[in-house]
Order: sequence, then structure tokens, then C-alpha cells
Amino acid sequence: MENVQTIEFDISGQICPSTLLVALREINRNIEGINAGRVQLAFKTDNRDCTSTIPEAASNMGLRVDVQKDDSRYTILVSKA
Amino acid sequence: MAHMLFMLICGTLLGLAAGFIMHRADFCLTAMFRDFFLFRSVFKLQILLLLVISSMFLFELARLAGLIRLYPFPLLVSPSLAAPLGGMLFGIGMVLAGGCVVGSLYKAGAGSVPSMVAIIGMIIGSALFAEIAPWWVSVNRAATLLTGKITLADALDISPSLLAGVVILAALPIFVTIHRREGWSRKVYAEGAMQPWLAALLLALIGLVSVIVIGMPLGITTSYAKAAALAESVVCPFHYESVRFFHTMPLQYTHPLTGIQLRGGPGRELDGVALVQFPLIFGIVAGSTLSAVRLGEFGIRWNAPPRQYVSALAGGVVMGLASRMAAGCNVWHLLGGLPIMALQSMLFLAGLIPGTWLGAKLLTRFVVR
Repeated sequence: MENVQTIEFDISGQICPSTLLVALREINRNIEGINAGRVQLAFKTDNRDCTSTIPEAASNMGLRVDVQKDDSRYTILVSKA
Repeated sequence: MAHMLFMLICGTLLGLAAGFIMHRADFCLTAMFRDFFLFRSVFKLQILLLLVISSMFLFELARLAGLIRLYPFPLLVSPSLAAPLGGMLFGIGMVLAGGCVVGSLYKAGAGSVPSMVAIIGMIIGSALFAEIAPWWVSVNRAATLLTGKITLADALDISPSLLAGVVILAALPIFVTIHRREGWSRKVYAEGAMQPWLAALLLALIGLVSVIVIGMPLGITTSYAKAAALAESVVCPFHYESVRFFHTMPLQYTHPLTGIQLRGGPGRELDGVALVQFPLIFGIVAGSTLSAVRLGEFGIRWNAPPRQYVSALAGGVVMGLASRMAAGCNVWHLLGGLPIMALQSMLFLAGLIPGTWLGAKLLTRFVVR
């Protein structure tokens, strides 16, 4: 995993569906890199609902998802399965 | 005085419970319709169906047990063909605002500044409605059907139990199918998260308690008009005096448990509407704040792009206007009126669905790109 580039997106504070919309857009944009194991995406969010919806959408695309809480926010890490 | 204190405490407790549950489950009624159109996700719609059907069951059971003295509930009006227009505008507004009138309260309670902006929008929208109220009242009156018939059972002249029984039986196979296929739960990662199905059942119970104790289902939108009235009466008192809408008294009922007479309307006075709705509003905000603080997730969050602030404000204005046009918001109609098959609420829903679709189109075209 040493050469995996992590791209971070801070999508906290936004109105409701934009967190999921942004996440879907960025996953699609980087899907080749993720599948090749070169890139992983980290979404930082305070939206509780999308800590369920983003992992669901990403695992439906066959990707690996890890969610962790740091301080008051959640980081959703999307990477190669 | 003791009677009023009783109502204040009941309203606050109901609100606290509702706000806490909504925050834990992130129970957003806007998302239920919107996510179907945006992401073709039916999960949250199923949860809404569970909420409506379980409310229907509980309300009918309580009615048969004689626990509901005021039936149909006060403030429900005769069906008007103008209601779908109100519902449609409401749908557009709630998607643009990122939450409905209640959703924005619990989100604001957890610290979301765009939701606070949406609430300000709703107050402005209510003030706008006050200006067009005479015109709208005449349109609404001309479009009113079946005057005096509030529910479908009234209109068909059959027993509410029969109708509720048929609908609940029709919903059962759907519930069984959901249970067998993907199930009711979803994977949750958020700390202290509550499963939406549990939140739906608890909110149905809260609705039932409200109907028994307060005499009405959960409703809060007239208070936004009250906030508008207060602001106008301070800024331009002469104009306030001349706006007739602010001096109407749509709420007139005898509180079933205490026997006190309650009257109230959208004016600035601390009247029956304030007694019923203010504690609920305070409770929802405080309940959500409490939940967020306990999880260490409370924080004033303002870093949304300017475009989203404009959307939240505009959505709020449209929603405030629409909720007065339709004589109630989505929570009032979907969680209060629909479970007793109030015709006005069914017409509201008929407009809400295409409105949400339109709102989702506008959102993805202009706001989140």
C-alpha cells in the first residue's frame, strides 16, 4: 500500500445530498486509479446519513470502504477491494 | 395555569424525543422522496411507508379505544384542488433547502448554518404568504370540493376502521416482501446511529402521544408565520395591523385532557398556537443539540459553498409560502393527515411527489454541480 495516493475531499457543512453527489462524482472520476490500486479517496464529512449511503454506493461498485470517526467528523475511505 | 404548564411540558418532551431520534437516525423526510429520484433508492421510501402505516394502525386503535376525542384532528381542512399546487411548491422548496420544516430544525440543532438560513427563508416565505393570503383564500375556496368532508371515510360515508383495515392489509404483503428481500436494516457506521425503521416506529408512537395528549398530530408551521408577524409588527407596525391574515384565528378547540379552550392563529400573540407549537419546536432543536453534543458532533458548520446558501434561502422561502398555501407542512400532512386518510393530505402528497422530482432536477442542474 506504500505507493497509494490518497486524495482528500472535505465535504463537511454542505446541504444534504451534495455529500453523496460529490462522492459519487469523484469515485467515478477516479475509478480507474482506484481499481488499479494507485489511488484511494478520503471523504471527510459531518453528515451522518452519508456514512451509510456512501459506503453502500461504493460497495455496490465493488470497492472497499472504511469509515472512521476523528473528533467530530467521519472519514470515509474508498479503495480497491 | 397548571393546565398550560402541563401542555408546555408535554410539548417539550415530545419535541425533545423527536429531535433526539431524528438526529440519531438522520431521519430526513426530504431525503425519502428525493433520494428515490436522485439515486433510485427506495430504502427510505419504505421507511416512510412503515411510518405512515404504523401511524394509521395506532391512530385507528386509539380512536376505537376512545382515546382520541377530536376526530378528524383540528386544523385539517376540507379538500381543495389547490392543495397539490401547495404540495408541489413544498416539494421543490424542501429539496432546495436540504430539509423540510422539521428536518431543518434538527439539522440546525446540530449546528448546520445552511439549515438556519433555510429557517429564516421559511419565515420570509410565511410573510410573503400573508400578503397574498386574500387572493389565495378565494382561489382555495373556489377549488374546494366536498365541503365538510375531511377524510376519505367521510366522503365515502364508510367506517374509518374498514378503510384503515383495507389499507393496512394491502400494505402487509409489501412489508413481508421487504423483510424477505433486503430487510429493514442498513449498515450504519455513525456513532450512536439508530436504525431508520426503529426511528419510524418511535416517531409513530410520538405522533400517537401527541394526538392523545395535545389533541393534534405534530405540526409547527404556523409558528413560522408567527415569527414573521412578530418581525413585521416591530419593523412596520402599521402594515402589520393592515394584514388580515395575521388577525385570523384558524385554531379553535377544547383541549381534550384539561378542557381548556384554545384559540390561536398566525398573529404575534402568545396564543393557543404558541402553546401547542413553541414547546415542540424548542424540543426538536434542543433534542437534536443534546444528541449531537453527547456524540461530540455538535459544531457550528457554515463552510458550504455560497451557491448552497442561496439554495437554502430560496428553498426556505418557497417552503414557507407553500406550507401556508396547503394549510400544513409535510410532517403535518404525511404523519398526521395521511394516516387518517385526510383528503387534503392526500392531495398535498399528489403534488409533493412531482415537486420533489422537479426540486431534484433544479438541485443537480444549478446547485450541486
